[in-house]
Amino acid sequence: MKFKFSLALLILSVIMFTLVGCGRDSINEDAAGELVIYSSRNENFVNPLLEKFEAETGIKVLALHAGGGVVSRIVEEAGNPRADIFISNDIGALEYLRMEGLLQEFEPDGIDTIDQRYRAIDNSWFALSARTRVFIYNKDLISEEEMPKTVWELTDEQWKGQFAITRGGNSGMIAHISALRYEWGDELTAQWISQVKENAGAIMEGHGDIRRAVGAGEFRFGLVNNYYYHQQLREPTNNNVGAIYPDQAEGEMGAVINGAGIAFIKGSPNPDNAKTFINWLLLPENQREFSYASLEVPINPTIEAIDEAAVISEYRVQEMHLSMLGEYFLDTKELIERAGLDIELR
Amino acid sequence: MWERLWKNNKPDPLLVLSGLLTALLMAMPVVIVIWRAVMAGTDRWARLIDSRIPQLLQNTLQITLATTFLAILLGVSLAWLVYRCDLPGRNIWQWLLALPLMLPPYVGAVSYIMVFGPNGWIQDLAGELPFNIYSFWGVLLVMTLFKFPYVFLISGAALKRMNRSYEDTARSLGLGSWEIFRKVNLPFLRPAIGAGAILTALCVLSEFGVIAIMRYNTFTSAIYYQMESFDRLSATVLSVILIILTLGFLWLESIYRKNQKYYQTCGTFQQPDLIRLAKWKVPAMIWVFLIFLLSVIIPVGVLIYWSGYGIALGALDSNFFGYTLNSIKVAGIAALLSMALALPLVYLKSRHPSVPSELLNKISSAGYSLPGVIVALGLIFIFNTYIPWLYNTFYLISIAYLVRFLPQAIQYGNASLSMISPRIDEAARNLGYRPLKVLFKVILPLLSPGLMAGGALVFVSAIKELPATLLLRPPGFDTLAVRVWVEASDAVYHMAAPAALLVVLVSVIPLKLMLSRY
Repeated sequence: MKFKFSLALLILSVIMFTLVGCGRDSINEDAAGELVIYSSRNENFVNPLLEKFEAETGIKVLALHAGGGVVSRIVEEAGNPRADIFISNDIGALEYLRMEGLLQEFEPDGIDTIDQRYRAIDNSWFALSARTRVFIYNKDLISEEEMPKTVWELTDEQWKGQFAITRGGNSGMIAHISALRYEWGDELTAQWISQVKENAGAIMEGHGDIRRAVGAGEFRFGLVNNYYYHQQLREPTNNNVGAIYPDQAEGEMGAVINGAGIAFIKGSPNPDNAKTFINWLLLPENQREFSYASLEVPINPTIEAIDEAAVISEYRVQEMHLSMLGEYFLDTKELIERAGLDIELR
Repeated sequence: MWERLWKNNKPDPLLVLSGLLTALLMAMPVVIVIWRAVMAGTDRWARLIDSRIPQLLQNTLQITLATTFLAILLGVSLAWLVYRCDLPGRNIWQWLLALPLMLPPYVGAVSYIMVFGPNGWIQDLAGELPFNIYSFWGVLLVMTLFKFPYVFLISGAALKRMNRSYEDTARSLGLGSWEIFRKVNLPFLRPAIGAGAILTALCVLSEFGVIAIMRYNTFTSAIYYQMESFDRLSATVLSVILIILTLGFLWLESIYRKNQKYYQTCGTFQQPDLIRLAKWKVPAMIWVFLIFLLSVIIPVGVLIYWSGYGIALGALDSNFFGYTLNSIKVAGIAALLSMALALPLVYLKSRHPSVPSELLNKISSAGYSLPGVIVALGLIFIFNTYIPWLYNTFYLISIAYLVRFLPQAIQYGNASLSMISPRIDEAARNLGYRPLKVLFKVILPLLSPGLMAGGALVFVSAIKELPATLLLRPPGFDTLAVRVWVEASDAVYHMAAPAALLVVLVSVIPLKLMLSRY
């Protein structure tokens, strides 16, 4: 009797499968009014913007927020693309997709408000907000004056065991090391990787773990994207933290930045709506909201930054173009692998 | 030839067909992984073998074997105390000690870091720490505390079915309690211990959340990291190693089960007497309560603590009703399908032991330890390309759960069926029943408690599943596990805690069902 019940439910499921197959036809009727967006960003920062777009244009947005794995989903879907737009936390990912031939070029309105350093050579992707590499530090354990001011100082023995970094394969770290290679060359960078790996008190899976550990006083400071510093300020407890933008003195390389931005998928099922979205997003008010909600710094220096953050033109940043992240990627990964930092945690 | 293949014990063709289709479904992601690994080229293999695989192999085997060993110790000892002894409150304990299954292990890990970590509550109270939580021992502690119920539940089920006649006979021959345990009870428990051990080992193999936050390194974490760095070839190669490890454990379990034919052949089943603990009652209660404290009270306490903050900040809203329904829907479908599909495989393996039935069972479990993200990507490729009408539906999520968790239903089914004598089948066939009728009319009623327990376990596992859900879900379809992840991925625990608490609450009913039926 129990098996018959299960069997009945199984048959019901099969019927539902069929109905779904039929039901998809009605979905196709609305295809002209749809836009499919994949995002690796936290949805709390993206959804308000997408809702605003829907309200203003009448185009229905279907959003998939799925973390870094979305890149792999886009790659797997290459034979039958499903997404129109990809919003990413990591410009390296966007450049990777472009180099794999999975993006299409487009000349959007307002693209000139984004400096060329922060877009693809064919504008198939562009950054909208900066994720600046900063030191987050615990104000109860160390003062701003005592803090190291350059990333090279992390190689100094005096900091041994006192700071936390992510594993080398973290996208923020990969981009950081690419920038160091651009500035210093491979030999010096390899030396930095080895020494920092040895000096770090912990190697963590993600930046969220670092900010939480620094906030709790487990380490004096950590190397994170600035977003995580702002996030720790908003924790209900353990929130007495500060931030140092490294390498700001005359002649120094400036802070390393990655970006968050968007890309236009090749084979996009709704290309016209995708173009509408891209043009819309480049409007000043929407550029502001893209970075504001996520506690990042607008790439466009004329856009207002959040209260406790610096405007991007107010601090020194790397010279390396973000579009170079793609060509640097494989060699950077190999350098990291040779140092043994790519997957190790401790 | 067909006859000889089945050792002259040919099964009904429908059973074979069902087993074959199930094995095909389960094999899809595995085949894709192997294909891509072969295409990866010898250079990638050589590089990984030189630089990564040895250490990962050591780390992975150490944590897997140690956890399995400790889970057996905890699981069997607790099952013995709860099911066979006059432990006070035993009817409640059999339910309470299964609760760790409802908790996402990641939640357990976070709570242990909060309590035992540097600057944790113990540090605040006592000024020093008993041990470093970020170590092999920390991972081992958390893994054991959240995996032992697999052994506890299956062992408990076996103990409930043990016939007292054997013990009476042994006692009449002069054996003492310890010898009866060792020579009578333990052999009867071997199939259950084997099934619990294999589930534990394979769950540890595929665990990622605990490994990542506690800063350990295994094949599974390495696969995730390689995928995250777009190194799909390395991820594929490492996944093949994981498949080999899985098959290795399954093979060991086969060896362990060989020549085990422990059936209850006495005409009348009698429940054994409860063993009097007498002076051991207090130590036993302390042991049971200690495990409960460590595996349930601490993590649930931390969840409630964080939920207080989160709910005050609006972490729960009316959308959560939809998320809960979504979770129940996809996990429920997976549970039902797993019960239906496990039955033929289990029956073939037990009643028609042969190369084909063994092969079908192995193939159906080979992908068990594959990370959810690898399973998901394999399914994306297949369904998006060849079966697009199912792609971007929530059914694909249930299919992924089936691929990931069917082995749990199979193991429970195996453990249950191994306690039912094949003589019952023979008797029914002698009375004129056709083979399929024997299965459905006679064996299924006896087997259904075990199958239902397996289905409940699949449900509980599926409700917590994240990586495959995240990648396969249609845009706009969220589950409770996804909601936990949305906040937990940036370590915003107070906002993640209420959803995690809901996962626990939603899991109570199937767990209760599992225990009352089994």
